[in-house]
Amino acid sequence: MKTGVSVFIAAFAALGASWCGFVLAPSLQLGGAGQQTVLNGSDSYPIQRTGDATLGAQVYRANGCVACHTEQVRQTGVACEVTLTSLGVHKPADFVDYVRSLSVLPKLAPYTNALNASLKDWTGELPKTLMTSSDKEIATEMADRLKAIGIKSETRIVATGADIARGWGLRQSVAADYLYDQPVQLGSLRAGPDLANIGTRVLDAKLQLQHLYAPKSVLKDSTMPPFRYLFEVRKIGSAPSPDALTLAGEFAPPAGFEVVPTTDAKHLAAYLLSLKSDAPLYEAPFTPVTAAK
Amino acid sequence: MSDENKSSSNPSGGEPTATRSTAPMWIIVTTLVLLFVGGYYFDQHSGWFNKKVYAPYSSAEQLEAFQPKSGEAAALARGKVVYESVCGICHGADGMGKPGQAPLLAGSEWVTAKGFNRLAHIPLMGVGGPLKVAGKDWNMNMAAMGAALPDDDLAAVLTYIRGAWGNKASPVTGEDIKKIRANMGSPKAMTGDMLMAMPE
Repeated sequence: MKTGVSVFIAAFAALGASWCGFVLAPSLQLGGAGQQTVLNGSDSYPIQRTGDATLGAQVYRANGCVACHTEQVRQTGVACEVTLTSLGVHKPADFVDYVRSLSVLPKLAPYTNALNASLKDWTGELPKTLMTSSDKEIATEMADRLKAIGIKSETRIVATGADIARGWGLRQSVAADYLYDQPVQLGSLRAGPDLANIGTRVLDAKLQLQHLYAPKSVLKDSTMPPFRYLFEVRKIGSAPSPDALTLAGEFAPPAGFEVVPTTDAKHLAAYLLSLKSDAPLYEAPFTPVTAAK
Repeated sequence: MSDENKSSSNPSGGEPTATRSTAPMWIIVTTLVLLFVGGYYFDQHSGWFNKKVYAPYSSAEQLEAFQPKSGEAAALARGKVVYESVCGICHGADGMGKPGQAPLLAGSEWVTAKGFNRLAHIPLMGVGGPLKVAGKDWNMNMAAMGAALPDDDLAAVLTYIRGAWGNKASPVTGEDIKKIRANMGSPKAMTGDMLMAMPE
């Protein structure tokens, strides 16, 4: 074979190039990733899941949940929200006039209509979101102009995008969110909602279990198949089980019977409750909604 | 190239034979230049492969510019840190207090009062003697734990306890603490009655 050496070199180069691209570069880039500190806070992120939840991830995997659910929130942009917190000595009406006068500034002119619309029926309630701009300079300009006359405002960083608008998260998913996942179950099809933050939306394990047993009992129009084999319908013994689901109407078991979750179901519920990627991180910044409001 | 190709195909009808010919230099150079420009553009718009830079951010500078720096959220976060290192040891990280050590803060009328004047005097001056907190009688001494804290930190911690654990009272600023400090006179341990005599 005359060209053997060049075929070998070409094949080696082709495979070597893809190995560099798919294995070496990501490993150099993210291989050393570890826990980090939450933005403006002292908490560590991410936290290792509890044992139950770690086992639940395998139940999630075994039942093919990933076929219909994703675990990744996408973000298309970032915006600054200027929110009034105090008017100082000014009256709301004077303030509205002042804001109108600001719209002659070239930087703020494009926001005139939006500002007027948002202030039309405003009678002075605080906090009041004044404007949302994807340009940080414009938001800063606005905040500076307000500060100049003694009006206090807060500039909040918010993520924007369809997923954020649906309430699926406060920011996009980043590599750090999956640090302890093995395997990472990103998913690629959304027959059901994204679950990256399901632990912040459904806080109750009982409700989560009821949804697994009879999705339609929680959401009338749910298209999720019921996972009844993760539950045991059994005769009530000397006393009802504390784990038994509270079901009504057509979903209720026959009289004298109760629906009890199996260990797998409990693990899966623990895993779902542990799905929270809502901490602000350096690489995915946003201003969290504060408890003080 | 075309000359060579013509000479390689046999015009007299015999089998055509392939001969060696090199790609013209301009194609090679253009391809390499395009690859370089493309790679440079890609790098430039993805933060030079910085692991922290994700779309929609395209550079580390842009990401840095969008870091939330000040505001209530930062103060609350700072307040949590200060609380857990200074106050939480006795009052508990959950604000529920500890029997025989310190009364609860979550839902305490001292903490959630409309004004924070009385509340601010407690860490600034210390408090002792009988004190009624959320319907329970206490008789303990608390040193002026907050006297040495900077104004902003004390304000942050007061904002935090007024906003955490279901409390919903207004935030406190460093300016407020500065004013209270300026007017409070010489430090002496307060009693419940002395606090009640003050404006809220």
